[in-house]
Amino acid sequence: MGGETITRKKKKFAKEPNFTEKKTYRPEGVKETGLAFIGHEISEDGNTMNQFLHYDQLYTIRHGWNSKFFKGLLEGKIWGTKCPKCGDTWVPVRTHCWNLDCNLEKTEWVEMPLTAKVHTWTIAGWSGRSSLKRLPIVLVYAVIGDSKVAIANELHGIDSWDAEFGMPLKIVFKPKGERSGIITDFHFEPTNDWKPSPTNEEKERIKQLVEPVYEWVKTLK
Amino acid sequence: MPRKVCIVGGATTPFDYGPTGFESIEGGAAECIKETQKDIPDFSMRDLDLMIYSHFSVHFGHQLCSEWIIHDHLGLVGVPHYRVENGGNTGGSALYAASLAVMSGHHDAVGVVGWETMDSVSQSQGSEFIALASDIRYELLVGGIYPIYYAAMANKWMKDNNVSEEDVATIGAKNRNNAMDNPKAQWYRNEHKYITADDVMNSRLISYPIKKYDCCLMSRGVAFVLVCSEEYAKKINPDGYVTIDGMGLSSCTIRAGDRLNFPGWTERYGKGYPGMTEFGACRNAADQAYKMAGIKNPRKEIDFGEIHDAFSTSEAQIYKALYLADENNIAQFLRDESTHMHGEIPMNPGGGLMGYGHPVGATGLMSTIECFYQLSDMIPKKHLSRKTEVADAECGIVNSHAGTGTSISNFILRRC
Ligand SMILES: [Zn+2]
Repeated sequence: MGGETITRKKKKFAKEPNFTEKKTYRPEGVKETGLAFIGHEISEDGNTMNQFLHYDQLYTIRHGWNSKFFKGLLEGKIWGTKCPKCGDTWVPVRTHCWNLDCNLEKTEWVEMPLTAKVHTWTIAGWSGRSSLKRLPIVLVYAVIGDSKVAIANELHGIDSWDAEFGMPLKIVFKPKGERSGIITDFHFEPTNDWKPSPTNEEKERIKQLVEPVYEWVKTLK
Repeated sequence: MPRKVCIVGGATTPFDYGPTGFESIEGGAAECIKETQKDIPDFSMRDLDLMIYSHFSVHFGHQLCSEWIIHDHLGLVGVPHYRVENGGNTGGSALYAASLAVMSGHHDAVGVVGWETMDSVSQSQGSEFIALASDIRYELLVGGIYPIYYAAMANKWMKDNNVSEEDVATIGAKNRNNAMDNPKAQWYRNEHKYITADDVMNSRLISYPIKKYDCCLMSRGVAFVLVCSEEYAKKINPDGYVTIDGMGLSSCTIRAGDRLNFPGWTERYGKGYPGMTEFGACRNAADQAYKMAGIKNPRKEIDFGEIHDAFSTSEAQIYKALYLADENNIAQFLRDESTHMHGEIPMNPGGGLMGYGHPVGATGLMSTIECFYQLSDMIPKKHLSRKTEVADAECGIVNSHAGTGTSISNFILRRC
């Protein structure tokens, strides 16, 4: 009964990757300790109790067919995909075409230019806990090359109130050693020949909104 | 011909961030049902032949399948149950599922319970958890949170439609002021003061053009709605039931930037729509709901609405998606205070997400309940004054909205 390993070649559908190059950048003190109750509190009248449950968990995001994009970030490149049937091109990438007439055609990888154009913008004065110290952040949705979609990322190298619709951008990567293969490996900056438009009522209003944010960030430990 | 779908009752717990006295979700669900039974004494737990649970995130619930805890607590073993999850449109989607169940003829009395317990984490961690409903591969930690994506969409929308910061600020003030006499509302339970558009303008920057008082809050809360066949409605609440005459559910991209040239939209609405500024799924869901309810001129035929004001800007964008105004008159529509209590089509008389609160899985049900109360003349009973009663309302719209406009449902409710 059992015990015998079946050595017949199994149907695999695709070649399985073998991971040989590994890097971690987890901060000190991050441990996967599993689930634990780590404390409680009781209301003054003794009627209500709260319990504190703690877990920290490492997730593996398997990028699979999208990997070339994220690996490209490590190399300072922006990869897009293109449908061989209809020619639509995307960054963020699609591994299969979105056009129903193309019937989920598999797309091809194309290297995109490191230039973009602002579609819309905002200036964040508040964010998630891991981004608070970087405030205020100028976030733009920009179209890279002939992409059919806009991608979100930060715009640096500008006074926040000077962001404009349609402004030309270049893509700037972090130094090679600081890249992690994630979207924040790059940001946008205005192209060298771009000049901000003169100040106006809206810019003054934004200044008024943003100044307290700078002050507040200084108070963060 | 599918069967008519009715709503006969419903209630929420108080909504708040922090202690409410209704902390346990199963206890909260039981109390919502008991309040409903007080309103319609003939409704028995034994009538329920399907339970649909409306809950967004395990990250807030710290419990997989928490609906199972509620369900057996209610004594309903053996009654079929399942959970619906669809981001901010979880409540609307659960109502959609319940309606389909009744419409099909397979079920007669469907209980829908929704909840979220967002105060189990800090507000800033909560914002980050919600951002896990963006495409995290491309958007997590880029700016970081949903209001930023909404602000980017709204900034361009406002420019394209000549709508000013002040214009949308009136919405932030309106919905909070509408919640002033609604005792279960988060605004009533906390700040509880009348505010003006100036207060909204002077509140701290979240992401330009959105300020603090343009944003809804994170909440804990539970809601219950009883959806049923007309036969059952006539039996237990013959004079107070409401019919769901139209409904629509539609979808859009997860990443807002992907809707610039999406073939599925170009095919339906022509090139350039919705772009990054309009809520295509809202328009599409409205088209379906209006057609089903026979509505030709929504601004004239609908008396009021309870809609998804996660941001004052998105409430304004929703007006346009619902055909209440177009690019030529939306700014004037706002300046005329058309959606205030004294306006032609009051929106969020119950307070909406900004006034009442936004415990995600319960939110769409809260909107449904407030709409039901209006259409069954229960506002004087449920609110502390008649200030937010839409007198003699015959027809209301309920709107539930997810993602960056990624899933949206609309319902047309009418007095029986
Ligand atoms: Zn194609």
